[in-house]
Amino acid sequence: MIAVEEKKKYAISVKNLHICYRNIKKTSIRKAFLKKQPKVEYFEAVKGVSFDIEQGKIVGIVGKNGSGKSTMLKAIAGIFSADKGTIKLYDNTISLLSIGVGFQPKLTGYENIFLSGMLLGFSEEEIKEKVDSIIEFSELGKAIHKPVRAYSSGMYSKLAFSITAILETDILLIDEVFSVGDIKFKEKSYNKMKELISKEDRTVVIVSHSMNALKELCNEIIWLNDGVIIDQGAPEDIIPKYEEYMRNLD
Amino acid sequence: MKRFINDIKKYFKYTIYAAKAELKSEVAGSYLGWMWWFLEPFCFMLIYAFLCTYIFNAKEQYMLAFVFIGNTIWTFINKCMTASVKTISSNKNIVTKVYLPKFILVIVKLLVNFFKLLISLIIVAGIMLIYRVPIALAMLEMVPILILLFILTFGVCVILSNYGVFFEDLVNIVNILLKFTFYFSGIFYSVSTRIRAPYGPLLARVNPAAFLIEQSRDVLLRGTHMSIEWFVIWLIIGLAISAWGVRLIYKNENDYVKVMNG
Repeated sequence: MIAVEEKKKYAISVKNLHICYRNIKKTSIRKAFLKKQPKVEYFEAVKGVSFDIEQGKIVGIVGKNGSGKSTMLKAIAGIFSADKGTIKLYDNTISLLSIGVGFQPKLTGYENIFLSGMLLGFSEEEIKEKVDSIIEFSELGKAIHKPVRAYSSGMYSKLAFSITAILETDILLIDEVFSVGDIKFKEKSYNKMKELISKEDRTVVIVSHSMNALKELCNEIIWLNDGVIIDQGAPEDIIPKYEEYMRNLD
Repeated sequence: MKRFINDIKKYFKYTIYAAKAELKSEVAGSYLGWMWWFLEPFCFMLIYAFLCTYIFNAKEQYMLAFVFIGNTIWTFINKCMTASVKTISSNKNIVTKVYLPKFILVIVKLLVNFFKLLISLIIVAGIMLIYRVPIALAMLEMVPILILLFILTFGVCVILSNYGVFFEDLVNIVNILLKFTFYFSGIFYSVSTRIRAPYGPLLARVNPAAFLIEQSRDVLLRGTHMSIEWFVIWLIIGLAISAWGVRLIYKNENDYVKVMNG
């Protein structure tokens, strides 16, 4: 058993992950003084989740709204750390595919590619190498030298998608971004996503409500409910069960 | 500490690039573009020149340079502190989407304002040339003074940026405190000579803004050396609050996103 496990190369190992939201709302100083001991409410979004993801696998996470999917994804991306438990990434670079990280609306799309890319941890040289393919993929043409605030929302998300799609990291986390731009770009980005995902050693975690996309793309599904894993396995097994469960909720 | 240095190294390029980007975006789309970086302080200078000659009947030597140095340093402190309270929430689209040590955002703001301070100082140099202020070796001491200014402001700003996430009304408090400090920092007058001793000279040391302003005037206009002992004291304080602030950020930055979502 142990020998078998050693052969598998893991990209992500999550052990007993707990994430709490201490209900710290923004407060005023007056309130902070009046309430001597503020009642801290704990809300546990993820309650002791463990799983391993092999390198090169494409894993989908399903679950109803509020089941802790996005929270977990953010924790894996390192945006906030675990309250308990560990997340191991084995020195892989990671990015959360999300729209428009760190854009400066008054600057041109071109400059924002650099800004955003550097924020994702790429060096200026790496970005320079890929900047042309980003512009090409985004279909923005000359508009790339116009300020981002002049972009339509479609153009904006096209650019944002292109940046994260073309600057590749070892692990890609995708939080429901299958619908970007017009139909043509949507198809293109979906195909690009497929292409990105299908690269041998690239590990992908997708959170989505689109069962068709998950069926087509993933080789494994994790079903989260109220912060715990209900089931885990091949898409053919899990998705029908999950759909059945969701229908019965109504 | 080690983590801090690593993070600074790792994000150094981004910090510089982001500061540049912010400076560019401030003037992007305006007709005069980067000229504003010079024009703005220059116009202020004209206003002060008017105030000094016609209203205050200048009492200090090199009055215009005197006021302008005070204002340059004060503007830096004021702008950085006001901005820092909201730094993290105004960068929501970065903070909620990618990890970066949050003091980097503070440093970006500081660099932007520091750049403007340097431009302002160039204008000061111009005024000093016109006044024919004698050149002294002590002028070089402006460099350590600026470093101290940066460290002290960084420390305070990092702490403010942390609490700014949790306390809605910190902005108001900071504004009032800044207004209050403004009057006791001697932008338009000399704290150590115009306020009755022993309070004046004392205030010029224990109020860091007043201290920095007075010292800058000493080395630039009077050609006298800065007070080494107080410089060291403030440097230690500056480093201490910076260290405290950075620790505070490391401890709490995990919660920022959660607060902002809620």
